[in-house]
Amino acid sequence: MAERILLIEDDPRLAAMVAEYLGEAGYRLVPARTGAEGLAAQARQPCDAVILDLMLPDMDGLDVCRRMRADGETPILMLTARGDAMDRVVGLEMGADDYLPKPFEPRELLARLRAILRRRGAAAKADVLRFGRLEIDRGAREVRLDGSPRPLTSHQFALLLALAEHAGRVMSRDQLMDRLGGETFEAFDRSIDVHISRIRAAIEDDPKKPRRIITVRGAGYVLARAQD
Amino acid sequence: MKRLYLQFYLTIVASLLLVVLTAGALWRLAVAATPVSLAFAMAGELVAVALAPADAPPAEQQRALARVAARLRTDATLFTPAGEPIASVGRPVPAPDERRDGGWLYGPSGTAWALKLPDGRRLVVRVSTGHGHPAFGLVMFLGGIALAIGIGAFPVVRRVTRRLERLQAGVESLGAGDLSARVKVEGRDEVARLAESFNAAAARIESLVGAHKMLLANASHELRTPLARIRMGIELLKGQVDAGRKAALEADIVELDQLIDEILLASRLDAVADLEADEEIDLLALAAEECARYDHCTLTGAPVLVRGDPRLLRRMIRNLLENAVHHGKPPIAVAVRARNGQAALEVCDAGPGIAAAERPRLFEPFHRAAGTAATGRTGLGLALVRRIAQRHGGDAGYRAPPSCFTIVLPIAR
Repeated sequence: MAERILLIEDDPRLAAMVAEYLGEAGYRLVPARTGAEGLAAQARQPCDAVILDLMLPDMDGLDVCRRMRADGETPILMLTARGDAMDRVVGLEMGADDYLPKPFEPRELLARLRAILRRRGAAAKADVLRFGRLEIDRGAREVRLDGSPRPLTSHQFALLLALAEHAGRVMSRDQLMDRLGGETFEAFDRSIDVHISRIRAAIEDDPKKPRRIITVRGAGYVLARAQD
Repeated sequence: MKRLYLQFYLTIVASLLLVVLTAGALWRLAVAATPVSLAFAMAGELVAVALAPADAPPAEQQRALARVAARLRTDATLFTPAGEPIASVGRPVPAPDERRDGGWLYGPSGTAWALKLPDGRRLVVRVSTGHGHPAFGLVMFLGGIALAIGIGAFPVVRRVTRRLERLQAGVESLGAGDLSARVKVEGRDEVARLAESFNAAAARIESLVGAHKMLLANASHELRTPLARIRMGIELLKGQVDAGRKAALEADIVELDQLIDEILLASRLDAVADLEADEEIDLLALAAEECARYDHCTLTGAPVLVRGDPRLLRRMIRNLLENAVHHGKPPIAVAVRARNGQAALEVCDAGPGIAAAERPRLFEPFHRAAGTAATGRTGLGLALVRRIAQRHGGDAGYRAPPSCFTIVLPIAR
């Protein structure tokens, strides 16, 4: 049976398009134009996930989010506009599982929706580092891109994790060595570059033009904090 | 700071003092020049009649003086023309001045009149009325008035300037960003009217800024929902559009989206006083992330930590790179390093650079260098770069050749 998605969006044309697009992907959309309508629909028959617009005619999307959180564990994907007074942190603190800025890539909407549906009920939510479409699951020691696992050896995972835990900081080879601890990585020194290129092959869209793990000549590597 | 009430008050007190001193001085001059000295001369003639002649024996002179002094009920001393005492009654009095004919005498033993007798002798009589020099009385009188005015004026002056100070405090808190600041309107004078005008102006500013904030909060969403629709619509067209055209449409949406972002960001930087985030950021890593988006961008340097809003700093670097791509020539060279205790970011391209005449206006909003209008970029990018740098306690500059934009930011402690 198709998973039911509650879409709370006041713009009827956008809602219709999202419904069509997600319908093609095999989801059944339950539309709601206002926050009250959405809460009522959810109370009547809970959906599997909620796509919630931040700006609604009758109430603040954050209020809707808070009330839904009080009632249940249904995953919530919040639609915002970049530059809204609210930023990611606020949305997530209110209990949203993820957020997506408008105008969004339809494929990204689908990927995020799949991700929150899959995570539904997973307790180890906090143990996942997320960078755009990239997820680094510390609990399962697994790396996913667009929700599908990518093959990495445990050495490579440890290396990626060391970069991810310091995302937005340039890590020199020495610093990476220290983080990894010598025991499993003897003679790893020179081959760190080799492992990086393997990781890139697994997680970059175009390994020749890496956008996730970036080389800084003479300084080291950095995992990009802002990723697509 | 010179306090206004002190200035008022000191002016009043100083004018009073001036009046008192002038009056005293005028009196003094007038005394020397007026018939008062004649009166002293006449008194000398009269006294000469009452006293014993100059050649009389001292005992007789003493008796005559005692008689006069008894009538006047005061102390008196008779002096020879040379200033030697001949006869004396009562307590000693000041010695007369040989050079003057007669007049007031001041001494440690009190104030006295000196009379010159026609034969050259001098009689000094203590002034028994309790008054000193008549000018002294006037000075005392004026001084009394001055003191009264001085004491009376202080609270009045203080009250006026207190209200001005309260008004100043109101203006200051408005300036500091408290738009709800109002002042109490007291009285019906100019200060009260000023307070009323201030309150009206503050109310207007508050409503305008409120409207601006509402617009900012809603504009982003209102503008982006249709964009999301267009984006969705392109996706739903599927096979009906060729890949090249679809990519171009998507690029247009991205450009429009960025333009909305820049306009809203520019207004928000004006409207909001504080940075929305304050984190420690590795400028080199941030530059590396942004540089990786371009094909002909090389990055060199060492990690430098700065404090600030990562979104704004990212936008700053992206705008510099976009500017180099659109108005310069590849390759683009980015350098990040610590220099003179500051973080320095440099974005250079291989283009001919910006004409010296254009440089002063380079960072002005919506300024386009001559001949760049065709590229279709807004003139906001570089203005944002400078404003973001300044918001972080740094600045943006340009130098050539080679054509380089430089940013300096304070290093995080």
